[in-house]
Amino acid sequence: MQPHGGPPPKIALPGIKHVVAVASGKGGVGKSTVAVNLALALHQQGRRVGLMDADIYGPSVPIMMGVPAVDPQTTAFPIERYGIQLMSMGFLVRPDQAVIWRGPMVDKYIRQFLMALPWGELDYLVIDLPPGTGDAQLTLTQAAPLSGAVIVTTPQEVSLIDARKGLEMFRQVRVPVLGIVENMSYFIGEDGKRYEIFRHGGGRKLATDAGVPFLGEIPIDARVAECGDTGEPIVRKFPDSAIAKAYLALATTVGQELGKTAPPPELPGLQL
Amino acid sequence: MSVSPPEPLRPLALSKEGDDRLVIQWNDGHRSVYRWQHLRDHCPCASCREERLQPPDPFRLLQPAELTPLRPVALAPIGHYAYKITWSDGHDTGIYTLEHLRELCQCPECAKPR
Repeated sequence: MQPHGGPPPKIALPGIKHVVAVASGKGGVGKSTVAVNLALALHQQGRRVGLMDADIYGPSVPIMMGVPAVDPQTTAFPIERYGIQLMSMGFLVRPDQAVIWRGPMVDKYIRQFLMALPWGELDYLVIDLPPGTGDAQLTLTQAAPLSGAVIVTTPQEVSLIDARKGLEMFRQVRVPVLGIVENMSYFIGEDGKRYEIFRHGGGRKLATDAGVPFLGEIPIDARVAECGDTGEPIVRKFPDSAIAKAYLALATTVGQELGKTAPPPELPGLQL
Repeated sequence: MSVSPPEPLRPLALSKEGDDRLVIQWNDGHRSVYRWQHLRDHCPCASCREERLQPPDPFRLLQPAELTPLRPVALAPIGHYAYKITWSDGHDTGIYTLEHLRELCQCPECAKPR
C-alpha cells in the first residue's frame, strides 16, 4: 500500500499521434475559438481529430460546436460533431451551473477525460486549456503526453505579458512550445483597408524574443462571434473567408512544427 | 544558418550508492551525489519551506513513522521536469525539479564554498 497515494500516474494515449495544447496566459484572447477552428481546419485537411475542453470552470466547446444539452447519464462520450470527437465539462453540467471546485477535483476530471474515454485512433487531440498557469495546466503537463503547446495572444502588450508567463510555464515543465499565434491581429474593412484595432505585431515580436516560431496571424472577423454563439465555427460556415484560410494555414504550420519537434526523452526512474 | 540551442539539463541515469545515497548522472557529464537525508531536509514543498522558517518546536511529538531511520520509499518522474520522492516518514509532497536537484548536489566540486 502506498502512503499518501504515491506519485500521480502518467497517462499513455497510444492511439493518439499528437496531443496539442492551446494555451494563453490571459483570458479573452480567443483561445477556445482558436482551438475549435484549428481542430476543424485539421479535420478539413483530412486528419482524425479530437477536441478536449479542459476549461472545467468555463467550458466553451459545447456552445461553439453547437452541441445541444445532453443527458450525461445516458450519453456516450466523446460526442462526435462536425467530424470531431469532443469532450467538455459543459456536457456534464447545466449551463447555469457553476462548477465550484478546488484543484484535486479539477485534476481528477481532466484525467478522467483523457484516460477513461474511448477517443479511438486520432491524428490530433487538441486540448483547449483554461487561461493561466494553474491546476489544469499542472495536471496536463505532469501526467499527459503533450506533443506541444500553441500559445494564443492578441497584439497588445497587456496580453503579451501574460502570454510570456504561459510560455515560461511550458519552458519550466519542458513541454515543447510549437509557437505563438496572434489572434484579432487586424481587421479588413469594407473599404478593403486594413485596420489594426488592437495594435499589431506584438505576437511576432514575442515569438522572436522568446526564440519560438511565429505561427501566424488570425484577423478579426465580426462573424466569428456570431458563429461561436450559434454553434458553427467559422472555418466550416465560411470556408472561403480570409479568416478560414488563416486557420487552414495555421493547421498546416502546426503540423509542420510538430514534425520538427521530437518529444522530450522520458526521465529515468529508480527502483528502490 | 541556425545554431541549435544546447540540450536542456536532464538526468541520464539514477542509481543508489550504498543505503544512504542517490547518484544522478547528468547529460552534461556531471555526476551528482546526495545523501537521502539531505534531500529530505531540503524538501521544496510549501509546508517544509514554512517549517524551515520557524524555530524547531521542542514540544513536537514524533510520529511513529519518524522513529524508524529515514529512507526513500519511491522515486518517480513528474512530467519531463521533476521527480517526486515518497519517504518512509510518510512525507510525499515535495516535487524536486531537475534544476533544484542540480543545485542540491553534494559532490566535492559542488560542495566547495563559492
